[in-house]
Amino acid sequence: MTQNEKLTKLIQLTINGESRPLLVEAHWTLSKVLRNDCGHTGTKEACNEGACGSCTVLIDDIATPACMVLAIEQEGKNIETIEGLSKDGQLHPIQEAWLEEYGAQCGFCSPGMIMSTKGLLIKNANPTDDEIKEALGGNLCICSNYEHIINAVRSAARKMSKEQANV
Amino acid sequence: MKSFKHIDAASVEEAVSLLQESEGPAYVIAGGSDLLGCLKDNLWMEYPKAIVNLKTIPGLDTISVDEDGLHIGALVTLTKIAESETVKEFWPGLAEAARRTASPLLRNIGTIAGNICQENRCWYYRYPDKIGGRIDCVRKGGKRCLAVPGDHRYHSIFGAVNKCIAVNPSDTAPALIALDATIKTTKRTIPIDEFFSAGMGAQSTTLDRDEIVTEILVPRPAQEWTNAFRKIAFRKSIDFALVNCAAALTFADGKVTSARICLNGVHNNPRRCVESEAALIGKPLNEATAQEAGELAVAEAKPLLQNGFKVPMAKTIVIDTLMDCVK
Repeated sequence: MTQNEKLTKLIQLTINGESRPLLVEAHWTLSKVLRNDCGHTGTKEACNEGACGSCTVLIDDIATPACMVLAIEQEGKNIETIEGLSKDGQLHPIQEAWLEEYGAQCGFCSPGMIMSTKGLLIKNANPTDDEIKEALGGNLCICSNYEHIINAVRSAARKMSKEQANV
Repeated sequence: MKSFKHIDAASVEEAVSLLQESEGPAYVIAGGSDLLGCLKDNLWMEYPKAIVNLKTIPGLDTISVDEDGLHIGALVTLTKIAESETVKEFWPGLAEAARRTASPLLRNIGTIAGNICQENRCWYYRYPDKIGGRIDCVRKGGKRCLAVPGDHRYHSIFGAVNKCIAVNPSDTAPALIALDATIKTTKRTIPIDEFFSAGMGAQSTTLDRDEIVTEILVPRPAQEWTNAFRKIAFRKSIDFALVNCAAALTFADGKVTSARICLNGVHNNPRRCVESEAALIGKPLNEATAQEAGELAVAEAKPLLQNGFKVPMAKTIVIDTLMDCVK
Protein backbone atom coordinates (compact mmCIF):
# COMPACT_ATOMS: atom_id res chain seq x y z
CA MET A 1 0.00 0.00 0.00
CA THR A 2 1.40 3.36 -0.99
CA GLN A 3 0.21 5.09 2.14
CA ASN A 4 2.08 2.59 4.27
CA GLU A 5 5.29 3.22 2.39
CA LYS A 6 5.06 6.82 3.40
CA LEU A 7 4.28 6.19 7.04
CA THR A 8 6.69 3.41 7.95
CA LYS A 9 10.42 3.76 8.08
CA LEU A 10 13.31 1.39 8.63
CA ILE A 11 15.39 2.77 11.46
CA GLN A 12 18.42 1.62 13.38
CA LEU A 13 17.91 1.77 17.15
CA THR A 14 20.76 1.34 19.62
CA ILE A 15 19.33 -0.33 22.71
CA ASN A 16 21.65 -1.27 25.57
CA GLY A 17 24.63 -0.94 23.26
CA GLU A 18 23.18 -3.23 20.61
CA SER A 19 22.16 -1.77 17.28
CA ARG A 20 19.15 -3.33 15.59
CA PRO A 21 17.06 -2.52 12.51
CA LEU A 22 13.36 -1.91 13.14
CA LEU A 23 10.47 -1.11 10.86
CA VAL A 24 8.46 1.52 12.72
CA GLU A 25 5.43 3.62 12.04
CA ALA A 26 5.84 7.35 12.63
CA HIS A 27 3.33 7.49 15.48
CA TRP A 28 4.79 4.64 17.53
CA THR A 29 6.14 5.71 20.86
CA LEU A 30 9.47 4.41 22.11
CA SER A 31 7.80 2.52 24.97
CA LYS A 32 5.52 0.68 22.55
CA VAL A 33 8.45 -0.27 20.31
CA LEU A 34 10.58 -1.38 23.27
CA ARG A 35 7.81 -3.56 24.65
CA ASN A 36 6.13 -4.90 21.49
CA ASP A 37 8.95 -5.07 18.99
CA CYS A 38 12.10 -5.52 21.07
CA GLY A 39 10.77 -7.69 23.88
CA HIS A 40 12.05 -5.27 26.51
CA THR A 41 8.99 -5.50 28.70
CA GLY A 42 10.93 -4.25 31.73
CA THR A 43 9.95 -0.80 30.52
CA LYS A 44 6.43 -0.50 31.92
CA GLU A 45 3.55 1.48 30.50
CA ALA A 46 1.03 2.74 33.01
CA CYS A 47 -0.36 6.24 32.55
CA ASN A 48 0.86 6.59 28.97
CA GLU A 49 0.94 10.38 29.34
CA GLY A 50 4.29 11.07 30.98
CA ALA A 51 2.91 11.51 34.48
CA CYS A 52 3.93 8.28 36.26
CA GLY A 53 7.52 7.58 35.17
CA SER A 54 7.13 3.79 34.96
CA CYS A 55 8.38 3.84 31.35
CA THR A 56 11.56 5.79 32.18
CA VAL A 57 14.60 4.91 30.06
CA LEU A 58 17.90 6.70 29.57
CA ILE A 59 18.39 8.35 26.20
CA ASP A 60 21.98 9.55 25.89
CA ASP A 61 22.18 9.33 29.71
CA ILE A 62 19.09 11.53 30.23
CA ALA A 63 16.10 10.05 32.06
CA THR A 64 13.18 10.21 29.62
CA PRO A 65 9.58 9.00 29.72
CA ALA A 66 9.58 6.54 26.80
CA CYS A 67 5.81 6.88 26.30
CA MET A 68 6.17 10.56 25.40
CA VAL A 69 8.84 10.30 22.70
CA LEU A 70 8.50 8.89 19.20
CA ALA A 71 10.67 5.88 18.34
CA ILE A 72 11.32 7.28 14.86
CA GLU A 73 13.19 10.24 16.40
CA GLN A 74 15.60 8.08 18.43
CA GLU A 75 17.91 6.97 15.63
CA GLY A 76 21.57 7.47 16.48
CA LYS A 77 20.84 7.81 20.19
CA ASN A 78 21.92 5.50 22.94
CA ILE A 79 18.87 4.01 24.62
CA GLU A 80 19.34 2.22 27.91
CA THR A 81 16.60 0.16 29.53
CA ILE A 82 16.40 -1.80 32.77
CA GLU A 83 17.45 -4.93 30.83
CA GLY A 84 20.83 -3.34 30.11
CA LEU A 85 21.84 -2.79 33.72
CA SER A 86 23.04 -6.21 34.90
CA LYS A 87 26.21 -7.50 33.24
CA ASP A 88 27.23 -11.21 33.03
CA GLY A 89 24.70 -12.25 35.65
CA GLN A 90 25.91 -9.54 38.05
CA LEU A 91 23.34 -7.04 39.25
CA HIS A 92 24.07 -3.35 38.83
CA PRO A 93 24.84 -1.61 42.17
CA ILE A 94 21.51 0.25 41.96
CA GLN A 95 19.68 -3.06 41.58
CA GLU A 96 21.64 -4.54 44.50
CA ALA A 97 20.73 -1.53 46.62
CA TRP A 98 17.10 -1.98 45.61
CA LEU A 99 17.16 -5.58 46.88
CA GLU A 100 18.98 -4.79 50.10
CA GLU A 101 16.86 -1.77 51.02
CA TYR A 102 13.52 -3.29 49.96
CA GLY A 103 13.12 -0.69 47.21
CA ALA A 104 10.43 -2.82 45.57
CA GLN A 105 7.08 -3.79 47.03
CA CYS A 106 4.95 -4.84 44.07
CA GLY A 107 7.88 -3.87 41.84
CA PHE A 108 5.96 -2.28 39.00
CA CYS A 109 7.54 1.15 39.42
CA SER A 110 11.04 -0.22 40.08
CA PRO A 111 12.37 -0.26 36.48
CA GLY A 112 11.39 3.38 36.05
CA MET A 113 12.63 4.36 39.50
CA ILE A 114 15.96 2.61 38.90
CA MET A 115 16.45 4.26 35.51
CA SER A 116 15.63 7.68 37.01
CA THR A 117 18.12 6.92 39.79
CA LYS A 118 20.79 6.04 37.24
CA GLY A 119 20.07 9.32 35.40
CA LEU A 120 20.44 11.22 38.68
CA LEU A 121 23.68 9.46 39.72
CA ILE A 122 25.26 10.13 36.31
CA LYS A 123 24.68 13.87 36.83
CA ASN A 124 25.24 13.94 40.58
CA ALA A 125 27.21 11.11 42.19
CA ASN A 126 26.49 12.22 45.74
CA PRO A 127 22.95 13.62 45.92
CA THR A 128 21.34 15.05 49.04
CA ASP A 129 17.95 13.75 50.18
CA ASP A 130 16.25 16.77 48.65
CA GLU A 131 18.02 16.20 45.36
CA ILE A 132 16.94 12.54 45.40
CA LYS A 133 13.34 13.53 46.08
CA GLU A 134 13.40 16.12 43.31
CA ALA A 135 14.99 13.74 40.78
CA LEU A 136 12.43 11.01 41.49
CA GLY A 137 9.57 13.53 41.44
CA GLY A 138 8.38 12.16 38.10
CA ASN A 139 8.12 8.56 39.27
CA LEU A 140 5.08 7.36 41.17
CA CYS A 141 4.99 4.33 43.46
CA ILE A 142 1.47 3.09 43.99
CA CYS A 143 2.58 1.10 47.07
CA SER A 144 3.89 4.38 48.50
CA ASN A 145 7.24 2.74 49.25
CA TYR A 146 9.05 6.06 48.97
CA GLU A 147 11.06 5.86 52.20
CA HIS A 148 12.66 2.57 51.15
CA ILE A 149 13.22 3.85 47.63
CA ILE A 150 15.07 6.91 48.93
CA ASN A 151 17.17 4.66 51.19
CA ALA A 152 17.95 2.50 48.16
CA VAL A 153 19.09 5.52 46.12
CA ARG A 154 21.33 6.67 48.99
CA SER A 155 22.81 3.19 49.29
CA ALA A 156 23.28 2.96 45.50
CA ALA A 157 25.15 6.28 45.49
CA ARG A 158 27.49 4.97 48.22
CA LYS A 159 28.05 1.66 46.40
CA MET A 160 28.80 3.40 43.11
CA SER A 161 31.23 5.93 44.55
CA LYS A 162 33.03 3.09 46.39
CA GLU A 163 33.27 1.22 43.09
CA GLN A 164 34.57 4.34 41.42
CA ALA A 165 37.24 4.72 44.12
CA ASN A 166 38.36 1.09 43.66
CA VAL A 167 38.87 1.41 39.89
CA MET B 1 -2.39 7.42 18.39
CA LYS B 2 -3.34 7.25 14.74
CA SER B 3 -0.77 7.39 11.99
CA PHE B 4 0.76 10.49 10.47
CA LYS B 5 3.67 11.37 8.26
CA HIS B 6 6.83 12.35 10.17
CA ILE B 7 9.26 14.71 8.51
CA ASP B 8 12.61 15.86 9.89
CA ALA B 9 13.19 19.53 9.09
CA ALA B 10 16.80 20.54 8.35
CA SER B 11 16.21 24.28 8.79
CA VAL B 12 13.59 26.68 10.15
CA GLU B 13 12.77 27.77 6.59
CA GLU B 14 12.21 24.18 5.55
CA ALA B 15 9.95 23.59 8.56
CA VAL B 16 7.82 26.61 7.61
CA SER B 17 7.48 25.51 4.00
CA LEU B 18 6.60 21.98 5.11
CA LEU B 19 3.80 23.44 7.24
CA GLN B 20 2.58 25.60 4.34
CA GLU B 21 2.77 22.89 1.70
CA SER B 22 1.29 20.03 3.71
CA GLU B 23 -1.79 18.53 2.08
CA GLY B 24 -3.63 18.22 5.37
CA PRO B 25 -3.23 19.73 8.83
CA ALA B 26 0.41 19.81 9.92
CA TYR B 27 1.92 20.43 13.34
CA VAL B 28 5.45 20.86 14.60
CA ILE B 29 6.97 18.64 17.26
CA ALA B 30 9.72 19.76 19.64
CA GLY B 31 9.71 18.01 23.02
CA GLY B 32 6.36 16.49 22.15
CA SER B 33 5.06 16.14 25.69
CA ASP B 34 2.01 18.32 25.00
CA LEU B 35 1.51 17.33 21.36
CA LEU B 36 1.64 13.56 21.92
CA GLY B 37 -0.79 13.90 24.82
CA CYS B 38 -3.27 15.72 22.54
CA LEU B 39 -2.79 13.18 19.75
CA LYS B 40 -3.16 10.16 22.05
CA ASP B 41 -6.45 11.54 23.33
CA ASN B 42 -7.49 12.53 19.77
CA LEU B 43 -8.66 15.92 20.99
CA TRP B 44 -8.82 17.88 17.80
CA MET B 45 -11.40 17.87 15.04
CA GLU B 46 -8.61 17.57 12.47
CA TYR B 47 -6.02 14.90 13.15
CA PRO B 48 -2.66 15.95 11.66
CA LYS B 49 -1.57 14.48 8.34
CA ALA B 50 2.03 15.48 9.01
CA ILE B 51 4.28 16.16 11.98
CA VAL B 52 7.36 18.30 11.33
CA ASN B 53 10.26 17.53 13.65
CA LEU B 54 12.14 20.65 14.78
CA LYS B 55 14.77 18.77 16.82
CA THR B 56 16.78 18.10 13.68
CA ILE B 57 17.30 21.86 13.12
CA PRO B 58 20.74 22.87 14.40
CA GLY B 59 21.25 25.92 16.64
CA LEU B 60 17.84 26.15 18.31
CA ASP B 61 18.94 24.61 21.61
CA THR B 62 21.46 27.10 22.97
CA ILE B 63 21.40 29.67 25.78
CA SER B 64 23.59 32.75 25.37
CA VAL B 65 23.99 36.14 27.02
CA ASP B 66 24.99 39.39 25.31
CA GLU B 67 24.36 43.13 25.89
CA ASP B 68 20.68 42.71 24.91
CA GLY B 69 20.11 40.04 27.54
CA LEU B 70 19.44 36.34 27.65
CA HIS B 71 18.82 34.56 24.35
CA ILE B 72 17.06 31.23 24.81
CA GLY B 73 16.68 29.02 21.75
CA ALA B 74 13.16 27.67 21.26
CA LEU B 75 14.31 24.07 21.78
CA VAL B 76 16.18 24.64 25.05
CA THR B 77 14.79 22.15 27.55
CA LEU B 78 13.30 23.26 30.85
CA THR B 79 15.97 21.21 32.67
CA LYS B 80 18.69 23.22 30.94
CA ILE B 81 17.09 26.53 31.97
CA ALA B 82 16.50 25.34 35.53
CA GLU B 83 20.14 24.24 35.87
CA SER B 84 21.80 27.16 34.05
CA GLU B 85 24.03 29.07 36.49
CA THR B 86 23.56 32.31 34.49
CA VAL B 87 19.78 32.05 34.54
CA LYS B 88 19.77 31.17 38.24
CA GLU B 89 21.96 34.17 39.08
CA PHE B 90 20.29 36.93 37.07
CA TRP B 91 16.83 35.59 36.25
CA PRO B 92 16.00 33.44 39.30
CA GLY B 93 12.26 33.83 38.64
CA LEU B 94 12.64 32.12 35.28
CA ALA B 95 14.95 29.38 36.61
CA GLU B 96 12.48 28.64 39.41
CA ALA B 97 9.52 28.60 37.00
CA ALA B 98 11.36 26.10 34.79
CA ARG B 99 12.34 24.03 37.84
CA ARG B 100 8.76 23.86 39.10
CA THR B 101 7.27 22.82 35.74
CA ALA B 102 5.91 19.26 35.49
CA SER B 103 8.34 16.53 36.61
CA PRO B 104 12.10 16.10 36.06
CA LEU B 105 11.41 13.54 33.31
CA LEU B 106 9.12 15.88 31.39
CA ARG B 107 11.51 18.80 31.94
CA ASN B 108 14.21 16.69 30.29
CA ILE B 109 12.20 16.60 27.05
CA GLY B 110 9.91 19.66 27.32
CA THR B 111 11.12 22.88 25.71
CA ILE B 112 10.64 26.51 26.72
CA ALA B 113 8.76 27.38 23.50
CA GLY B 114 6.54 24.34 23.95
CA ASN B 115 5.82 25.38 27.51
CA ILE B 116 4.50 28.80 26.50
CA CYS B 117 2.59 27.42 23.48
CA GLN B 118 0.96 24.54 25.36
CA GLU B 119 -2.75 23.94 25.39
CA ASN B 120 -5.03 24.30 28.39
CA ARG B 121 -5.67 21.32 30.68
CA CYS B 122 -9.44 21.72 31.16
CA TRP B 123 -10.73 18.22 31.81
CA TYR B 124 -13.70 18.65 29.51
CA TYR B 125 -11.54 19.96 26.68
CA ARG B 126 -8.94 17.24 27.28
CA TYR B 127 -11.45 14.42 27.71
CA PRO B 128 -9.96 11.45 25.83
CA ASP B 129 -11.73 10.27 22.69
CA LYS B 130 -11.12 6.62 23.59
CA ILE B 131 -13.33 6.76 26.69
CA GLY B 132 -16.79 7.31 25.30
CA GLY B 133 -15.85 9.86 22.66
CA ARG B 134 -14.43 13.37 22.85
CA ILE B 135 -16.46 16.12 24.45
CA ASP B 136 -17.29 18.91 22.04
CA CYS B 137 -17.06 21.85 24.37
CA VAL B 138 -17.43 25.45 23.25
CA ARG B 139 -13.75 25.58 22.39
CA LYS B 140 -14.18 22.70 19.97
CA GLY B 141 -17.18 24.22 18.23
CA GLY B 142 -19.83 22.98 20.66
CA LYS B 143 -22.68 25.12 21.97
CA ARG B 144 -21.56 25.60 25.55
CA CYS B 145 -18.76 25.32 28.05
CA LEU B 146 -19.33 22.21 30.14
CA ALA B 147 -17.20 23.45 33.00
CA VAL B 148 -19.58 26.33 33.85
CA PRO B 149 -22.47 24.07 34.94
CA GLY B 150 -20.06 21.20 35.68
CA ASP B 151 -16.90 20.81 37.75
CA HIS B 152 -14.90 24.02 37.51
CA ARG B 153 -12.93 23.92 40.74
CA TYR B 154 -9.63 24.71 38.98
CA HIS B 155 -11.01 27.03 36.29
CA SER B 156 -10.88 30.76 35.65
CA ILE B 157 -11.63 33.25 38.41
CA PHE B 158 -11.54 36.18 36.00
CA GLY B 159 -14.36 35.25 33.64
CA ALA B 160 -14.44 33.60 30.24
CA VAL B 161 -12.89 34.16 26.83
CA ASN B 162 -15.24 33.13 24.01
CA LYS B 163 -17.38 31.44 26.71
CA CYS B 164 -14.43 29.14 27.67
CA ILE B 165 -13.25 29.24 31.30
CA ALA B 166 -10.14 27.08 30.99
CA VAL B 167 -6.91 28.49 32.40
CA ASN B 168 -3.47 28.86 30.89
CA PRO B 169 -1.40 26.21 32.71
CA SER B 170 2.14 27.40 31.87
CA ASP B 171 4.66 28.07 34.64
CA THR B 172 7.25 29.82 32.48
CA ALA B 173 4.67 32.13 30.84
CA PRO B 174 4.15 34.39 33.89
CA ALA B 175 7.91 34.43 34.52
CA LEU B 176 8.60 35.57 30.95
CA ILE B 177 5.80 38.16 31.16
CA ALA B 178 7.18 39.58 34.42
CA LEU B 179 10.62 39.72 32.82
CA ASP B 180 9.19 41.52 29.74
CA ALA B 181 10.56 38.96 27.29
CA THR B 182 10.28 39.15 23.53
CA ILE B 183 9.32 36.20 21.35
CA LYS B 184 11.11 35.88 18.03
CA THR B 185 9.31 33.84 15.40
CA THR B 186 9.85 32.98 11.77
CA LYS B 187 7.68 35.97 10.81
CA ARG B 188 8.10 38.69 13.39
CA THR B 189 9.09 39.75 16.87
CA ILE B 190 6.23 39.67 19.38
CA PRO B 191 6.31 41.46 22.76
CA ILE B 192 5.29 38.86 25.34
CA ASP B 193 2.26 40.95 26.39
CA GLU B 194 0.81 40.38 22.91
CA PHE B 195 1.80 36.72 22.64
CA PHE B 196 -0.95 34.94 24.54
CA SER B 197 -4.42 34.89 23.03
CA ALA B 198 -6.71 32.00 23.84
CA GLY B 199 -9.06 31.25 20.99
CA MET B 200 -10.96 28.36 19.53
CA GLY B 201 -9.59 24.83 19.40
CA ALA B 202 -5.89 24.44 19.98
CA GLN B 203 -5.17 28.16 19.77
CA SER B 204 -3.50 29.60 22.87
CA THR B 205 -1.23 32.22 21.28
CA THR B 206 -1.26 34.79 18.48
CA LEU B 207 0.98 32.56 16.35
CA ASP B 208 -0.20 31.75 12.82
CA ARG B 209 -0.48 28.12 11.76
CA ASP B 210 2.73 28.38 9.73
CA GLU B 211 4.68 30.39 12.30
CA ILE B 212 7.34 28.89 14.57
CA VAL B 213 8.92 30.37 17.70
CA THR B 214 12.68 30.45 17.19
CA GLU B 215 14.02 32.37 20.17
CA ILE B 216 13.03 34.04 23.42
CA LEU B 217 14.89 37.17 24.45
CA VAL B 218 14.84 38.17 28.12
CA PRO B 219 16.22 41.67 28.69
CA ARG B 220 19.22 42.26 30.93
CA PRO B 221 18.59 43.27 34.52
CA ALA B 222 18.99 46.93 35.40
CA GLN B 223 21.21 47.96 38.31
CA GLU B 224 18.90 47.38 41.22
CA TRP B 225 16.59 44.61 40.15
CA THR B 226 14.92 41.55 41.57
CA ASN B 227 12.60 38.89 40.26
CA ALA B 228 10.89 35.87 41.74
CA PHE B 229 8.44 33.08 40.98
CA ARG B 230 6.09 31.06 43.16
CA LYS B 231 3.71 28.21 42.45
CA ILE B 232 0.98 26.55 44.43
CA ALA B 233 0.06 23.02 43.35
CA PHE B 234 -1.17 19.91 45.14
CA ARG B 235 2.11 18.06 44.80
CA LYS B 236 5.60 19.56 44.55
CA SER B 237 6.17 17.66 41.35
CA ILE B 238 4.08 16.88 38.25
CA ASP B 239 0.96 18.90 39.06
CA PHE B 240 -0.08 21.96 37.13
CA ALA B 241 -0.38 25.13 39.17
CA LEU B 242 -3.56 26.00 41.02
CA VAL B 243 -2.13 29.50 40.83
CA ASN B 244 1.37 30.73 40.12
CA CYS B 245 2.88 34.18 40.13
CA ALA B 246 6.01 35.92 38.90
CA ALA B 247 7.21 39.42 39.67
CA ALA B 248 10.10 41.59 38.50
CA LEU B 249 10.85 44.97 40.08
CA THR B 250 13.42 47.70 39.71
CA PHE B 251 14.39 50.01 42.55
CA ALA B 252 16.01 53.40 43.06
CA ASP B 253 16.72 54.85 46.51
CA GLY B 254 14.79 52.03 48.14
CA LYS B 255 11.65 52.78 46.14
CA VAL B 256 10.03 50.78 43.37
CA THR B 257 10.59 52.43 39.97
CA SER B 258 8.96 49.77 37.82
CA ALA B 259 7.03 46.60 38.49
CA ARG B 260 5.71 43.75 36.39
CA ILE B 261 3.57 41.15 38.15
CA CYS B 262 1.81 38.27 36.44
CA LEU B 263 -0.57 35.63 37.75
CA ASN B 264 -1.30 32.42 35.87
CA GLY B 265 -3.71 29.56 36.31
CA VAL B 266 -6.43 32.14 36.97
CA HIS B 267 -7.68 33.00 33.48
CA ASN B 268 -7.62 31.85 29.85
CA ASN B 269 -4.48 33.92 29.32
CA PRO B 270 -1.77 34.78 31.86
CA ARG B 271 -2.98 37.85 33.74
CA ARG B 272 -0.83 40.91 34.35
CA CYS B 273 -1.72 42.63 37.62
CA VAL B 274 -1.54 46.18 36.27
CA GLU B 275 -3.35 47.81 39.21
CA SER B 276 -0.97 46.17 41.67
CA GLU B 277 1.99 47.28 39.59
CA ALA B 278 0.79 50.89 39.48
CA ALA B 279 0.17 50.93 43.23
CA LEU B 280 3.77 49.94 43.96
CA ILE B 281 5.49 52.65 41.90
CA GLY B 282 7.25 55.25 44.03
CA LYS B 283 6.79 53.29 47.23
CA PRO B 284 9.17 51.09 49.18
CA LEU B 285 8.46 47.37 48.92
CA ASN B 286 7.37 46.08 52.32
CA GLU B 287 4.61 44.02 53.89
CA ALA B 288 2.09 46.87 53.76
CA THR B 289 2.63 47.73 50.09
CA ALA B 290 2.78 44.05 49.10
CA GLN B 291 -0.51 43.49 50.93
CA GLU B 292 -2.11 46.35 49.02
CA ALA B 293 -0.79 44.99 45.72
CA GLY B 294 -2.14 41.52 46.57
CA GLU B 295 -5.59 42.89 47.30
CA LEU B 296 -5.64 44.91 44.07
CA ALA B 297 -4.59 41.82 42.08
CA VAL B 298 -7.84 40.03 42.92
CA ALA B 299 -10.13 43.07 43.21
CA GLU B 300 -11.81 42.20 39.92
CA ALA B 301 -12.01 38.45 40.54
CA LYS B 302 -15.34 36.82 39.68
CA PRO B 303 -15.05 33.29 41.04
CA LEU B 304 -17.64 30.64 40.22
CA LEU B 305 -19.38 28.34 42.68
CA GLN B 306 -16.50 25.93 43.26
CA ASN B 307 -13.33 27.92 42.69
CA GLY B 308 -13.67 30.74 45.21
CA PHE B 309 -10.69 29.28 47.12
CA LYS B 310 -8.41 30.44 44.34
CA VAL B 311 -9.09 34.13 45.08
CA PRO B 312 -7.36 34.31 48.50
CA MET B 313 -4.77 31.91 47.11
CA ALA B 314 -4.00 34.31 44.23
CA LYS B 315 -3.88 37.27 46.63
CA THR B 316 -1.47 35.46 48.95
CA ILE B 317 0.80 34.29 46.18
CA VAL B 318 1.13 37.86 44.85
CA ILE B 319 2.08 39.07 48.35
CA ASP B 320 4.54 36.21 48.89
CA THR B 321 6.15 36.61 45.47
CA LEU B 322 6.58 40.35 46.06
CA MET B 323 8.12 39.66 49.49
CA ASP B 324 10.57 37.31 47.77
CA CYS B 325 11.64 40.35 45.73
CA VAL B 326 12.60 42.32 48.86
CA LYS B 327 16.37 42.56 48.80
